[in-house]
Amino acid sequence: MGTPYFDYHALAPVIVLAAVALLALVVDFVWKDGGRRAVPQIAGIGMLLALIPVFTLAADGETRVMFGGAFVVDNYALAFAGFFLIVGYVAVLLSYDYIDEGDYYRGEYYVLLLTSVLGMVVLASARDLITIFVAIETVTLPTFVLAGWRKHDIRSNEAAIKYFIIGVLSSAVMLYGMSLIFGLSNSTLLSEIGSVAGGDNPALFAVAIFLTLAGFAFKVSAVPFHFWAPDTYQGAPLPVTAFLSVASKAAGFVAMLSVVALGFFASPNSWQPVIWVLAAASIVVGNLAALRQTDVVRMLAYSSVAQGGFILVPLAVSGDNDAARAGFQGVLVYILIYAAMNMGAFACVIANARRTRSTEIQSFSGLGRSNPAMAVVFTVFLFSLAGIPPFAGWFAKFVMFRAVLDAGTTAAVVLGVLAAVFSVVAFFYYGTVIRRMWFHAAVDLGDTGSPRVPGALVAAMAITTTVVVVIGVYPQLFAKIGDLAFRAT
Amino acid sequence: MWEQQVAFWVIAVAMAGAAIGVVRANNVVHAALFLIVVFAGSAAQYILLLAEFVAWVQVLIYIGAIIVLFLFGVMLTRAPMREERGKLDNSQRLASAVVALFLFGVLAVFLIDAFGGTELRFRDSMVEVGSAASVGDSIFRQFVIPFEVVSMLLLAALVGAVALARRD
Amino acid sequence: MPINYFLILSAFLFCAGAYGVLARRNSVLVLMSVELMLNAVNINLIAFSAQAQDVAGQVFALFVITIAAAEVGIGLAIVLLIYRNLRSPDLDRVEQLKG
Repeated sequence: MGTPYFDYHALAPVIVLAAVALLALVVDFVWKDGGRRAVPQIAGIGMLLALIPVFTLAADGETRVMFGGAFVVDNYALAFAGFFLIVGYVAVLLSYDYIDEGDYYRGEYYVLLLTSVLGMVVLASARDLITIFVAIETVTLPTFVLAGWRKHDIRSNEAAIKYFIIGVLSSAVMLYGMSLIFGLSNSTLLSEIGSVAGGDNPALFAVAIFLTLAGFAFKVSAVPFHFWAPDTYQGAPLPVTAFLSVASKAAGFVAMLSVVALGFFASPNSWQPVIWVLAAASIVVGNLAALRQTDVVRMLAYSSVAQGGFILVPLAVSGDNDAARAGFQGVLVYILIYAAMNMGAFACVIANARRTRSTEIQSFSGLGRSNPAMAVVFTVFLFSLAGIPPFAGWFAKFVMFRAVLDAGTTAAVVLGVLAAVFSVVAFFYYGTVIRRMWFHAAVDLGDTGSPRVPGALVAAMAITTTVVVVIGVYPQLFAKIGDLAFRAT
Repeated sequence: MWEQQVAFWVIAVAMAGAAIGVVRANNVVHAALFLIVVFAGSAAQYILLLAEFVAWVQVLIYIGAIIVLFLFGVMLTRAPMREERGKLDNSQRLASAVVALFLFGVLAVFLIDAFGGTELRFRDSMVEVGSAASVGDSIFRQFVIPFEVVSMLLLAALVGAVALARRD
Repeated sequence: MPINYFLILSAFLFCAGAYGVLARRNSVLVLMSVELMLNAVNINLIAFSAQAQDVAGQVFALFVITIAAAEVGIGLAIVLLIYRNLRSPDLDRVEQLKG
């Protein structure tokens, strides 16, 4: 045994993020006054710096395998790594003024954010159970803390404790499942688990898969493991909520996609029904619960549960016939689009909360008159979330239904019909907010904040709007990413 | 082999009893003390399984650090040190017990189905596998990435815990 | 020695922990119950490691132990925070958000 093979080019995004996180910590500690401005800049630039090696690796196009297949940098990993870094950058933009103006620790906030993104980038490349476990914990542990960042607000404390208890419980369940999988396959590598999955396995294998997926289902807040999400989303600071609803959720989906596509795939009877039920339940419960919310953050929380159900649809049908490719692509494309539109929607909510100090849906009344630009942008995101062309959301729904049609089995079609019906239900709650903005007179909310939308938020909105509009109009650009990512598999 | 079996059963019974103690005790400090028995028992089982290094890490981290943290937690939240019948539980005790027993039944049936005939065979070479040298070798050759990532995670946990718990 | 001895013991600890998570209202005790579950995972991993004569299971257990320590640290920080604001470590007192 010689020294292990390190491909520093392949590891560069991770190394850059780690270095930037440490730098942010030191700068915040050493340079008390200047650090206040410098640390968010460092965090933002760091995310973009880490993107550079992602691009050079993508241009290179070579699949790099390290540690006997435990850590793989291929197109799939790069697509998600790049995506997580952009989401991280937008999260920094969303946090910039919010964290600056409140009574918060600033430097520590960005260190935790960077660490969480670092976990995500590792997760995209992780191909064995140990690395996946460590990466997913690195994603979630800092977010437990961030959810409680408004230390003196009991609602933020509640968000943190609920999220924490559910998080560690789901980790324990997931780990128990993983330990059984390790026992049955004698390996932690997904590729070797994959070759065992195709063989004749005892029923315990299905139980192990069930427990592992249940652990992930908590992380992505799929029904019936979703009950923490609305409370946590509402109580956490708004930029953290945006980050949770997109990034840590996407991380759960990536972990799920990796273990299913590369590990369990050959034994569809043990994972498909589980994901089918999660998808169907999330779509039904998420959409129905979203209908009766009066707070926009809770509405978006349930909407994100429902969108999570839609993301699971292609995965649930991917084991049928020849749907594997279309299914995995569907998940990937939907996650990326969902992230852009949900992040954008939260940017608008944050901007509106600055203006009105409220997240009630009625606080959006009359926004069309007082700030038409923002109302237009928010309408775009809500249209996109509802799946109305020409915004990106329709393409996400399109790839989802294409996977359903490729599968063509009864179970797949039932799920497809369910998704179609509840996509229509979703129009109502997204429509309520849009109606409020354009057709209601402003409600006097007393204590009002500053109407100015700060530059960082404008930048975040600009980025997400561009993505949503461009993908909506030229989906081919984006479909190519999905194609490339699954060329190898 | 019978000595091992006897050792297993003695430790296992103690652990099972202590585990029930952890979840049923009417006193938070007693629960923490029961937890020590479970952790120490686990370390002893690891030694039976010839995983010497993990056994000592278990003693150092779990008993040495985690239990101490728990006791600090008990102290700082001023949990009363006396018996508090029923105050530490919520109203779903019966339902929870049913769920837990059902889960145990299911797991036991499937475990027996899957591993019913499997015997562990202990060889001298396994002592080598469980040694610090072998574990360290594996961590620094095969699992370098998770190891480095965990170090970032621990740093973040430290920073986060201090930021939250600090009085300001 | 049958491997099932260890696995059933572990399943028992796991279920005891699950009971604790469901039935306890004091947050420190809930956290202890989660630790029971994680400990069950470790017993599984070490037993399977002995079965496979492979060190990977032991390394996995070490990572679980490490991360469990980090989790407890953060968990107690959050509990402490709530205790400062509410003067109670009970989970059901924390019920501001509804819907």
